[in-house]
Amino acid sequence: MSLDEAVSSGAVGQRWRRTDDVAKVRGQLHYTADEPTRHVAHVAFHRSLRPFARLVEIHTEEALALPGVVAVLTGADLYEALGNAIFTGPAFSDQPVLAYERVRFVGEPLAAVLAEDLATARAASDLIGVEYDELEPVLDVDAALSGRSYVHEELRPSTVFQDLAHLAGVRETNVNYQFRLRRGDAEGILAASGAKVTGDFFSPPIHHVPIELPRTVAWREGNRLELVTTTQTPSYVRQMASDLLGIPLGAVRVRSAPLGGGFGSKMYDRLEPAAAALAWVSGLAVQLAVTREEAFLLTTRHGARVHSEMICDEEGSILASSADIVYDTGAYADVGPRITAKSGMIAPGPYRVEHVAVRSRCVYTNKPSAGPFRGFGVPQLTFAHESLVDELAIARGEDPVAFRRRNLLREGDVAPVGTRMHSADFHSCLDAVAEELGWDQPLARGSGRVRRGRGVAVGVKAVLTPTVSNAVLQLNQDASASLVISTVDMGQGSDTIMGQIVAEVLGLTEGSVRVVPTDTDVTPYDTITAGSRSTYHTGNAVRLAAEKMRDRLIEIAAARLGVAVTDIKLGPEGVLASSTQVRLTLEELVRGYFGGARGTTLSTEAGFATEWIPYDHETGQSERVTEHWFAGAVGVVLQVDTATGRITLEHLAVAGDVGRAINPTLVEQQLRGAAIMGIGLSLFEEMVFDEGQLVNGSMLDYQLPSLLDLPARLTPLIIESPHRSGPFGAKGVGETGILPVAPAIANAVRDATGVRITRLPLTPERVLEALGSGK
Amino acid sequence: MTRPVEFVVNGRPRVVHARDEDLLLDVLRDQIGVTSVREGCGVGACGACTVLVEGASVSSCLALAVDYDGAAILTVEGLPEDDPVVQSFVEAGALQCGYCIPGFVMMTHELLAEQELPSPEAVRAHLAGNLCRCGTYYEIADAVALAARTLAARR
Repeated sequence: MSLDEAVSSGAVGQRWRRTDDVAKVRGQLHYTADEPTRHVAHVAFHRSLRPFARLVEIHTEEALALPGVVAVLTGADLYEALGNAIFTGPAFSDQPVLAYERVRFVGEPLAAVLAEDLATARAASDLIGVEYDELEPVLDVDAALSGRSYVHEELRPSTVFQDLAHLAGVRETNVNYQFRLRRGDAEGILAASGAKVTGDFFSPPIHHVPIELPRTVAWREGNRLELVTTTQTPSYVRQMASDLLGIPLGAVRVRSAPLGGGFGSKMYDRLEPAAAALAWVSGLAVQLAVTREEAFLLTTRHGARVHSEMICDEEGSILASSADIVYDTGAYADVGPRITAKSGMIAPGPYRVEHVAVRSRCVYTNKPSAGPFRGFGVPQLTFAHESLVDELAIARGEDPVAFRRRNLLREGDVAPVGTRMHSADFHSCLDAVAEELGWDQPLARGSGRVRRGRGVAVGVKAVLTPTVSNAVLQLNQDASASLVISTVDMGQGSDTIMGQIVAEVLGLTEGSVRVVPTDTDVTPYDTITAGSRSTYHTGNAVRLAAEKMRDRLIEIAAARLGVAVTDIKLGPEGVLASSTQVRLTLEELVRGYFGGARGTTLSTEAGFATEWIPYDHETGQSERVTEHWFAGAVGVVLQVDTATGRITLEHLAVAGDVGRAINPTLVEQQLRGAAIMGIGLSLFEEMVFDEGQLVNGSMLDYQLPSLLDLPARLTPLIIESPHRSGPFGAKGVGETGILPVAPAIANAVRDATGVRITRLPLTPERVLEALGSGK
Repeated sequence: MTRPVEFVVNGRPRVVHARDEDLLLDVLRDQIGVTSVREGCGVGACGACTVLVEGASVSSCLALAVDYDGAAILTVEGLPEDDPVVQSFVEAGALQCGYCIPGFVMMTHELLAEQELPSPEAVRAHLAGNLCRCGTYYEIADAVALAARTLAARR
């Protein structure tokens, strides 16, 4: 028996309870805002009233004179103290901590009031007067591409992504990044033939709205900075603060509690740069707690416009596909360039297509910055390719499921981006949702006011590559363990499944592994908790650390029992020497190792990193663009009330290939939760701007899905096509379910009514308008 | 200018000092340490700040503390160890990030005090003002039904 086979506790694949369930339901688990903190100065921002303007003068005297106000700091004050370091950002160093010299969107913070209480800080922020010299605002992507006005005078790539360095100093453009994917002769084929389908698709900006508001506390201890913050990216924040303040990484400590939801809104530079700079420059402990209305301005999901064309041959094989994509990244690039590339590379969808031409551009406008959001730009593209694939099938008079099955990428195929497919079982995902909906049975579509229809869609996304994860495992003498990682549990259940991975390797019991809250003084580097990457990457680091622990325990046992290591078996009961049948519990083993001391721990550590081959800048081609793929499908049956335009979902099925479900219950929750978020963005979510001003930035005006917006049935379906190097074959799942929701719904509306709608969300007004123009 | 306000919070008499404009939410969190009561929207639209006052749900983010002088306020911290609603939420796995869950638990208590075995429609209607961005709604609905059955069996 090999060591790998020696342990089988049956932890992986079990529906273990969340480690924090009782504490969360009882309100005992503390989120960031629930921890007592030291005495702080409360911070309120004065925000720009103009979309684009030069700052002529900021008058702070009245605010400073208000009793209780401790300090007022402007962008110029911070620039004087910190210089160009006040410009931060993951892709471009383009975003000042507080607006400096120019404001670039309505609501941009341009001065900070520090006061003894929040009410005073907010009152004082209203007393700040600003003289603006207005510039021509760039309010949409058409204006951005027209060349009349530029949001930034020149491009300033950050040091985070080295492949953007060539863009330094580029002037007179609002396009901060362009990704191209080229293979074969798509343009020639699409131009020559008439039997193609085309569409112009639009997905509006939307917002994450995790129910927990972002919050950051920061203070200075001599030449150190401490941050306690709602972040998905503690390791990134630590590096950012080190760069911003010019102090060593070891002088920055970033802590995060479990998050009350993230979805991409709590990563990279949110409140943290301002908190760090204000604490450092003022010398005061500061607390930044924003209102929901302010949180809407911190980051958004990219609005995206896609013009796409597709054509198939006489046998119904997709021949060529093109897409011209424009992402509206707002005033600051954030990770817009990464989103542009990551989505551009899958613009043809999960299909075998020999001829591909894609241009994906990331464009500055004078609006709040757009950044990562569950799906990382891919749902906007999935809406386009899955709508057009449906049209190809319809044009051939073919069933959309059958058409897709013939064209979907299979194991071992090379994707249009040039990378070979592995562990991305689109066929099983599609088959599962089709079977769940009874696709082989005819659907009664109705002929009266209410029409029924059904639709499917398939999604593909590449995991963020390259990235790094680390894990330190401390095994306690009593067979419990502490796992020291920087993955942040924000509801996805990482604390639970990481414990299951440890338990699987070491034969520990349910609930015996504690994941230590993130603290960069203690928890090792981890790229980010985002992009559905933690199960695979951190999970692998955790698995490796646990395997080292297993090997160490076996060595200790072999020495203690005087047998060969190959003779030792490790299991839930402890260790067993097969030849002598002598057993020791883990406690006896570890306690004996430490000479009888009680409460001792053994530690191991491991790292896991992935590599890629950067894509070619002209063709986008790479033999290894990603470590692995996410594959998902959604099918839906719905009703359209043709008198009101209202869509009612009857049954939605969502399937995701997760490689291996470490915890099926948590996988199902992620699939369902993502689908429900997808329903919101499909049917009603939209951030509405008027002259650059967000007009529905409050939860009275911005609607989220509630219990009243759900399908009568929502079925999560787990597909397991194991990944050769995933921990026990596993991959992540956080985003998979959201990718195909909108096109599945739009395809079902098309099926029900005969009308193709290419602009989200599918509000009753939009449906009615489309029905009217379709008649 | 503050004045003393007396509450009974989770069965314990408490005296806080509140200005006229202070919100019940902030007073509960900052002066009494009840952290299960949370601001999600500040406009009474998400339910994360829900407390029960004499059994009736109140959005504490919209309530002025001084208006509740003499009131008996219940939050999730005040529920007993064997509370069937808490147990049902745990049993049904009705949580992801967990931030909104105490609000759902309190709304469920209000509902089940009014209706012994509410219909699924009644559950949805009663909880429609509570938002869970993780999308745990089906599990939450299951937990409410489970709690209703448990409570009915105890009666």
